[in-house]
Amino acid sequence: MAAAATPIPSRRESLFGARLREAGWGYLFVLVPMAVFGLFFLYPFGYAIYISFFNWGILGKQPGTGSIGFANYHQVLHDPIFHTAIKNTLEYTAGVLPLEMAMGLVMALVVNQNIRGQKFWRAAFYFPALASSVAITTIALYLAASDGLINRVFGTSTPWFTTASTATWAIVVLNAWTTSGTVMLFYLAALQSIPTDVYEAAAVDNTGTWRTFWKITFPLLRPAHFFVMVVFGIGALKVFDQQFIASGGTGGPNYSTYTAVLYIYREAFQSFEFGVAAAAGTVIFIGIFALTIVQRLTVGRGQSY
Amino acid sequence: MAQAAATAQPYIPGRARSEVARKTVAYAALVVIAAIFFIPFIWTIITSFKTLPDSVNVTLIPHPWTTAAWREVWTQYSFGTFIKNSLFLAVVVTACNMFLAGLGGYAFARLKFPGRELLFLLVLGTLMVPDQLRLIPVFVMLTKWHLIASFKGYILINLVTATNLFFMRQYFSTIPKDFEEAAKLDGAGYFKTFWRVMLPLALPAIAALTILQFQGTWNDFFWPLILFGQGSPHLYTVQLGLAEFKLTYQTNWPDLMAGSVIAILPILAIFIAFQRYFIAGQVSAGVKG
Repeated sequence: MAAAATPIPSRRESLFGARLREAGWGYLFVLVPMAVFGLFFLYPFGYAIYISFFNWGILGKQPGTGSIGFANYHQVLHDPIFHTAIKNTLEYTAGVLPLEMAMGLVMALVVNQNIRGQKFWRAAFYFPALASSVAITTIALYLAASDGLINRVFGTSTPWFTTASTATWAIVVLNAWTTSGTVMLFYLAALQSIPTDVYEAAAVDNTGTWRTFWKITFPLLRPAHFFVMVVFGIGALKVFDQQFIASGGTGGPNYSTYTAVLYIYREAFQSFEFGVAAAAGTVIFIGIFALTIVQRLTVGRGQSY
Repeated sequence: MAQAAATAQPYIPGRARSEVARKTVAYAALVVIAAIFFIPFIWTIITSFKTLPDSVNVTLIPHPWTTAAWREVWTQYSFGTFIKNSLFLAVVVTACNMFLAGLGGYAFARLKFPGRELLFLLVLGTLMVPDQLRLIPVFVMLTKWHLIASFKGYILINLVTATNLFFMRQYFSTIPKDFEEAAKLDGAGYFKTFWRVMLPLALPAIAALTILQFQGTWNDFFWPLILFGQGSPHLYTVQLGLAEFKLTYQTNWPDLMAGSVIAILPILAIFIAFQRYFIAGQVSAGVKG
């Protein structure tokens, strides 16, 4: 009531006041999230690089010593275990990515048919993605133990996860099984966004199912291929839990389950070489970043991601 | 409805044959994939009711049938404590994320303040910093503040994620502005508008966030290992406890399988109850990978 009686000048002032009030509330609302991001993400980014230039132990910087320059980087880049860890991680990624993409796409195509209980099947295929990495790896270790179900069925006796030559591939199969359901969801969303008149045109031309898939569906899924490749490729390069559980944290046998992230973990919490671990983390970060850029420039050319 | 349309079609002879063939292939594929996917889980449950010598036999019925493994995980190993710890962390972290991501997402979507775009760029920049890089500095910082080996430290670094905030912001931008304007006319303040009007309107997004965050925290192995793994067994979560258990007891399969079922069961229950939010959330929050 009082506001109606106020003269015009002070109304302009109240407009300014309202803007100020809105900005104040805006800052207040984003205060805690921004503090968390700054303190635990952005600041550590710089701090990690800082630590990588010092001889840094569990108690912090070695007292009385300054920066040791690139010594930690030199150590990491000349460490044969680091080379093995990178090789294992790349091998794993090269194995698991095509497999989970193929399985995810096949499952999406099957579920996308006009079938009964579509929702049930979709949920059923997504189900292994729910289970924790620890539980699923424990189950897999049991199934693939030398006297486990898989060896009993095939009449073999190889402990697949704890044999140096097969460990990486056993984890490839395990993770393809658990992630393909999630990949399926992305392909399914992409399939359902393809306009139906494209298929109607193909039906009029009497194009076969197989040809329709390769000539129409597969190329139209290009954005989905790219998205899945980037997101799940980066995820694969960070693999850690399964190798940790399978080897009891050692990366064995014979370094066969040593991954890039396990290298960082062991340098920090087995050798207490925080400086070296930070240097390894920085190298791996640069590597993943570079790979993403290369992938974007090649596979993703012309895509709006 | 789609079903009826499909059954009406096969009157065209040629198409009918290919349609039948396609469906047969599809159903066969469904059954085969489902079998491959589910046998391991069924096998896990069966083994949890077996005795240790019986656990290496390829038999479907445990002989003798026993619940010893289930009793042992409760009495001999502290799975009761693990569950309590996991539940506590998952509930607190999820609640904090829901509130803070909602509040921040609302501000970024709707309120005008100088520097908003720049701050949002920083939020997106956060997504580029992987856990592997921040592991060492975060560990060093928490050690300095005496927050290692405490739930406080874990909750603090997981209070809110950029993924969740981004997800909420996207959802809030799709809500028509009329609702807020109505609230404003009623004299509601910014917080009240957020809490009473916007948050209830964003319920589907909140549900997806809640479910995925709860699952993420419950299943988390990396950070509990880093923060509690250096000698704080009373803080062990279910995942950390199970991993430790595997390390110590190697091949006590019935007990390990009972422990694995416990680690999976709560998420499975939530999945069955809220399936559609799970799937909707997974697709729209795809950056999570």
